[in-house]
Amino acid sequence: MSCRVTQPGSSVLHRMDPRFRLVGLFVLIFAFSFVSDFRLLAAMLAFTLILFFLSGLPARFILQKLKLPSLIILVLVLVLPFVSGQNILLDLGFISLKQEGLYASGLIAARFLCIITTVMIVLHTAPLLTHVQAMRAMGLPWIMADMALLVGRYLEVLGSDLKRMHTAMRLRGLNSSRPGLYVLRTRAWLCGSLLVRGLERADWVYRAMRLRGYGHSRAATSQFRATALDMAGLAAALMAAGTVMGLEIWLGL
Amino acid sequence: MHIPDGILPLPVTLGGYAACAAAVFFCLHRINMRPDPQADIPKAALLTAAFFAASLIHIPIPPASVHLMLSGLLGVLLGFFAIPAILIGLFFQAAMFGHGGLTTLGINGVIIGFPAMAAHYMFRLGTLGQQGPKQTAAFAFLAGSLAIMLSVLLFSLLLVTAVPADLGAAVEKTAIVMIIAAHVPLALIEGAITAMIATFLLRVSPRVLHGV
Repeated sequence: MSCRVTQPGSSVLHRMDPRFRLVGLFVLIFAFSFVSDFRLLAAMLAFTLILFFLSGLPARFILQKLKLPSLIILVLVLVLPFVSGQNILLDLGFISLKQEGLYASGLIAARFLCIITTVMIVLHTAPLLTHVQAMRAMGLPWIMADMALLVGRYLEVLGSDLKRMHTAMRLRGLNSSRPGLYVLRTRAWLCGSLLVRGLERADWVYRAMRLRGYGHSRAATSQFRATALDMAGLAAALMAAGTVMGLEIWLGL
Repeated sequence: MHIPDGILPLPVTLGGYAACAAAVFFCLHRINMRPDPQADIPKAALLTAAFFAASLIHIPIPPASVHLMLSGLLGVLLGFFAIPAILIGLFFQAAMFGHGGLTTLGINGVIIGFPAMAAHYMFRLGTLGQQGPKQTAAFAFLAGSLAIMLSVLLFSLLLVTAVPADLGAAVEKTAIVMIIAAHVPLALIEGAITAMIATFLLRVSPRVLHGV
């Protein structure tokens, strides 16, 4: 479940309290999603780059993480300049490149890249479950926090169960690339078996949790301690977000 | 069917969070009314993890393949746990793979979670009283397909109308129709898979089908 690529304490971001890091992250990404003026894209990119250098994460790692999400948005970015707007920049006869579409496409691409890079940088400076614990410390309802921690814990377990069952089916002769009702039914039974296993395992997990004291006391103390560095980091994120949003409002007047 | 970060304007993403927060509040309130809500948490969590893993299964549709969403079945089995489970799944997907987004977490929760709840109510009302294999399969098919089609409808409406670009009414209408039409085969496949899983569960472990 750990997505971390560098050791704790290796950068300023790694040393920050996860609660402050998360608040800073959300403030920044919502400020980025507020941007609609092209002139602010440079500021947004600059803040993202500063964050990247502060994280100490390798560029290759971030680029690798951006590959899949970028493919999803690529279609929209490629189609919009040809279907949106009135002012034609380039007429190719059957299709024309339009100014408004190009503007919207650039804006979406820049906002997407800055937000996703910021998210990847911040969330990969600690294990995901640490961030869930930080959310719980900040008031995430206990049902959701407990569920998230258990999902994180058992995702890999059930994932490897699924892999094992799939391998066993292939060894017994399942041709998974062949389309048809047979493959559909086999897949359905595979999913069904996984759900049955999941629920059976849940019974044992609950009993084990009860034996370890789950449900007897909910007064858990927070494991996080804020320092001056966390305050300064959050203040910097708030200032960056405030600058972007303030400029957006000012330029829009 | 996840809207990525950066596409939607801020009021829409904040609206999504508000709608999702209200739905989560309602669901958690209903869960807390149970005699022992803690006992159901491991079941809901492990079924969520199983759904997450199962959604990685690919169905070959030449020349490509599609992955399952199973939001209808998730709604049927998890009931009031469905929306919290979907939000957790979406958070993990956004954090681990960059699929979906954090600013759009609320809106994606609405797109997938609300239809899942609709599927839950439809299946429970349809199979009220008796649960024969044919009735279970029929209502599971409807629940699976309905969840996908409602999600596609919400997704296309939001994507086409809230995207910051001047598309024009005709283009918007065409885009919505195209997106919906492209997803009809997927909805049928999801419906069929949901029906097959439901009948399998009815035969092998009916208590799973009774839900959390």
